[in-house]
Amino acid sequence: MKIPILRLGKILLSSIQVDLTDADAMQFQNDLVNKIAEMEALGIVIDITSLEVVDSFMARVINDTAGMARLLGAEVVICGVQPYVAMTLVEMGRDLIGVDCTFNLDQGLEIIKERIGMRGDATMIEGEG
Amino acid sequence: MTTNSLAPIVTLLQQRAAISSEWMNEVLRVWMRMYPGLVNEDELRRQADALLKELAKLFSEHSGETPPDIGANSALGEIARELSADRAKKGFKPADTAQYVIALKNVLTQHLVSTLNETPASLTLCLRAVDGVLDRLSLLTFEAFVETRERVIAQQSLSLVELSTPVILLWNNVLLLPLIGVIDTVRARQLTERLLESITKYEASVTLIDVTGVPVFDTSVAWHIMKTIDAAQLLGSRIVMTGISPEGAQTLTKLGISFANVISRATLRAGLAEALQLVGRRIESTGGVHK
Repeated sequence: MKIPILRLGKILLSSIQVDLTDADAMQFQNDLVNKIAEMEALGIVIDITSLEVVDSFMARVINDTAGMARLLGAEVVICGVQPYVAMTLVEMGRDLIGVDCTFNLDQGLEIIKERIGMRGDATMIEGEG
Repeated sequence: MTTNSLAPIVTLLQQRAAISSEWMNEVLRVWMRMYPGLVNEDELRRQADALLKELAKLFSEHSGETPPDIGANSALGEIARELSADRAKKGFKPADTAQYVIALKNVLTQHLVSTLNETPASLTLCLRAVDGVLDRLSLLTFEAFVETRERVIAQQSLSLVELSTPVILLWNNVLLLPLIGVIDTVRARQLTERLLESITKYEASVTLIDVTGVPVFDTSVAWHIMKTIDAAQLLGSRIVMTGISPEGAQTLTKLGISFANVISRATLRAGLAEALQLVGRRIESTGGVHK
């Protein structure tokens, strides 16, 4: 199953709403990374509100995707981490390093816009048109 | 038979003209088709003659109990080396170069079988000797071939190192290091040295490292870039990486390399904007004509 990746200006928005198979997760990661590079996204927001459980593989995919996005010059925010998911992530020693987490999408977008606003390329290049 | 059991081979090799022409026909048939214009027939016949002469000498000096051995430094080894080095330079395929020796073996075997079919014991002995010597010879040719190729490659990588890695002063206190091609240990050290010198000279507070031109990231390339970054940061320059491809990002992450203390931007354009912001400058539109 393909996870849709929505474009919101220079931000990419994606919501994982079902449990993904490993292959789906990799596909998602690949899609997202290519999309970021293609449109030179300044930020990505991944919403995992509907994700009740994560296994170690999924945790790793989330973490890796965040790392890749950072290398491609995009800010990353994860929103809607559920209590059980949070516990699993911590127990597996896989806290999402360097990634901002928020309660909901609303805050997620707010934070990512703020972070993008602090960047040199956002203000300058957007201004250039 | 005790005097020299390999005498039939020697006799055979003494009919040099016949063997040589049969052998060359075989070789030329393939080579003329594959490498037209590269094959000098006279030269080839001369070489074949010399090789056969040495072979005859070798077999006449051995009685046959132990198979004759060819050292890499013997006259025969020397000829083989020279031949295949020449081929390697001309761009022959390795298999075709080996074919040269194998063709000779075929010719010799055929002749031996037809002359000695009355005396199987002698035939076996002779065939074994021919096999041993020519196999060794083809190994030598192969070795020489690879050696020459390797030398060519070494030369090329040397000229690649000499392809300069420029460090560009992009703006006051902003340096650009565009990386192109494969980064190996030698190049990495060279460019690190040059970068560090420039950082000190210009007191660059921001350094852009653009890796758009780096085709593949593996552990060693990433490791070299990381060392360069570490060194630059020790001098007090901030690093902005630009131009990492999606594949590159995936590889790096899978290798566990996150460039955690580095700002990373998709394009040099974005990186430049970031760098300018870090030094407190900005590019603005002047409302000029050429928009």
